[in-house]
Amino acid sequence: MTEEAVLGDIRVLDLSEDIAGPFCTKLLAGLGAEVVKVERPGTGDVARIAPPFLGDPSSLEASGLFLYLNTGKKSITLDIANAEGASVLRRLAEGCDILVESHPPGRMESLGLGFDALSGENPGLIYTSITPFGQTGPYRDYKGSDIVAQAIGALMCVIGLPDREPLKVGGNPLLCTTGMAAFSATMLALYVRDIEGHGQRVDVSEMETTAVAQIHTSIHHQFGRNPERRPSNLTRARDGWVSPGLETGVQEETWPRVCELLGVPELADDPRFNTGPARRENSQELLAVVGQWAADRPKEEIYHTLQGLRSIAGYVATVEDLLASRQLADREFFQPVVHPATGELMYPGPAFRIEGETWKHERAPQLGEHNADIYGGALGYTATQLEQLQKNGVV
Amino acid sequence: MADLALDGLRILDLTQVAVGPYTTFMLGYMGAEIIKVESCSRMDISRGQARPTPGAGRVYPGGEPGERPWNRAGHHVHRNVNKLSLTLDLATPKGKELFLSLAGICDVLAENYRASVMDRLGLGYEAVSRVNPQIIYLKISSQGATGPERDYGSLGSTLEQTAGLAAVTGYIDGAPLMTNETFPDPVVGILGVGALMAALRRRRRTGKGGLVDLAQREVTVGMQGEAFLDLQVNNRVAGLTGNRHKSRNPQGVYQCLGDDNWLAVSVGSDEEWMGLCRAMNSPELAQDHRLLIAEGRGHHHDELDRLLTEWTRERDHYQAMHILQAHGVPAGAVLKGGEVISDPHLEARGFWDWVEHPEAGGYKQVTIPWKLSRNPRKETTPAPGLGEHNGWVLGELLGLPQVDIDELMEQGIIGVRPVGAD
Repeated sequence: MTEEAVLGDIRVLDLSEDIAGPFCTKLLAGLGAEVVKVERPGTGDVARIAPPFLGDPSSLEASGLFLYLNTGKKSITLDIANAEGASVLRRLAEGCDILVESHPPGRMESLGLGFDALSGENPGLIYTSITPFGQTGPYRDYKGSDIVAQAIGALMCVIGLPDREPLKVGGNPLLCTTGMAAFSATMLALYVRDIEGHGQRVDVSEMETTAVAQIHTSIHHQFGRNPERRPSNLTRARDGWVSPGLETGVQEETWPRVCELLGVPELADDPRFNTGPARRENSQELLAVVGQWAADRPKEEIYHTLQGLRSIAGYVATVEDLLASRQLADREFFQPVVHPATGELMYPGPAFRIEGETWKHERAPQLGEHNADIYGGALGYTATQLEQLQKNGVV
Repeated sequence: MADLALDGLRILDLTQVAVGPYTTFMLGYMGAEIIKVESCSRMDISRGQARPTPGAGRVYPGGEPGERPWNRAGHHVHRNVNKLSLTLDLATPKGKELFLSLAGICDVLAENYRASVMDRLGLGYEAVSRVNPQIIYLKISSQGATGPERDYGSLGSTLEQTAGLAAVTGYIDGAPLMTNETFPDPVVGILGVGALMAALRRRRRTGKGGLVDLAQREVTVGMQGEAFLDLQVNNRVAGLTGNRHKSRNPQGVYQCLGDDNWLAVSVGSDEEWMGLCRAMNSPELAQDHRLLIAEGRGHHHDELDRLLTEWTRERDHYQAMHILQAHGVPAGAVLKGGEVISDPHLEARGFWDWVEHPEAGGYKQVTIPWKLSRNPRKETTPAPGLGEHNGWVLGELLGLPQVDIDELMEQGIIGVRPVGAD
């Protein structure tokens, strides 16, 4: 990656850990920024001990979560809770453009590393804080996690079946989304800095990100429809699940062709199904009809066939299906990354593509891998000084 | 006058439904001028039908569509704040000509049609960049601008399936489920802001405009990266995990006092487990050696679920959250629509904006998921009526004389009432 990359001139000091912050800085690295992760000596980012493990779980280099979230970054170790460590960090912050952190509110300030302290020396500094609840407000000291965000941001209340408990979206999607929000906010701050020269404080929270990501609940409630959990409109295919999507996309003139395909030509004129609104009204009956046809066909074949008739069909893709998807392969979405602990693996690639730009996609760093490089290079410590820092447990 | 981050940035906005409008309403909050383009024959689907039929899926204030339902539909009112509305029939030569003139004076064009729609209209990236080589063309689509599925239709709910989320969302003993919230729409809406800022930065540094290709499926897949690595190394296919978590034990939602009230609890460390035992006032649980480490708590998860439910069932979900958090335990009340709009924390942070919409009345509006210390959010401008700003955009921005605007109105190239309203 060269200077010419979108963020080729930008240095990021990354004090965040786990998922949301690293997702944000992964995106910055993808655009060519130099991202230096500052990790705790000995243990590093908590994600280093999070499953799934791709090798020896007792090593700090085998977490699939860590390896994915930290592509394209460098790693140094530094104990910022130590006074000497904090002063090293202040020096590092003088030479960086963006600082990203995910400590509990007030902790960085108590170490003398808050926005006011660091921006005094570096007025162009963009200081992005990512926390469960934000820097202000009554819940600011509360702890979070993905399911807590999904709960308190009113996303979960409508997910799941009516007679069961609320359900979370699988994986860590709200933490990842918070990382995206922090990325967008940081890029907004950089836009302003490019024009006006000054940096600023950016405050991003998981709760507010989720409150934005609930797209219907708050408005439905206010406009008179009680938002609630409801049955799914998926039906079984031979090897999984599909949603036929015949309610919204299919044109009037296409409906007879759909009926022929489904082996029920007699339904072409059936008033229960022959218009879009009628199909929506009778969607459960329609699903039963389509279900018979779908049951002994492969899900992807159903998806392609029905999409060919302009339905809004979907199929429930597993990670295995996605890794083999023609669409994703055609776009070379998965890209090879070689890491010493795993060899070459295919990773999900660019989050978006800007014409003419290449997404930077290099392996995650080993703990402290760039200590000599950063401390010796940018900060100008001699080998002896670095040894002393190591002896004192600072690095 | 507040110091708006995107003051002076002008965006020609062809986006509709959810994902694109989410991106542009957030850009509007940061101060960009957003010109939303629809036509009287093809309104944004969020406006619903000109004369709604029952069961068509739109919500109206008080359940009343009113005389102009297209200006009152909840989804439109909510997703199209901070925008100006222009109607322009892009199927007509005059409509295309005016559209390209507008593209000439905008910094950004944003759209989220099926991938080939704009090319078929003769208004794709090539045509637009010919009139304005500096323009950033933000193309948001379900599958991306290229590839065999580029013209496939999708909704947030089908993207959840084709991007792998549904396969991991569901009760452990059940079937895959969707979120009922078209979740990939707002997510990609949020990311779209940063993607656009990246392209604008490049333009600033190099003078080059360019196409930004943002595929909803790819962004959503990108939230599950570790599962692909797990598959390749351990041959494990991620499946349904209910509300549980691989390494946080216990984790789940627990029923509280009242009707359909729940508390989410998520214990991520041994220290937090001790906090939970203290909060539940249960020294015997704290001394149970089977439960001291996460692995042990995982083995006895069902038992812990029962114990936690006994405790939560006697408490209000908010009260239970405050108690657990006071003991350092990650916990959150499962808020419903009415609760999240009056939550004291979001209130204190000024997250919601009270909006008086001229046709839909007062309501609380979702805003943005960030705070910039020097660039505040702009006060919400209510979602525009259809064609409300035709005169301003065509007259002031393009300099058309009033007689021309009247003529466009007569020819039906612009208008303020959708086809089918009268």
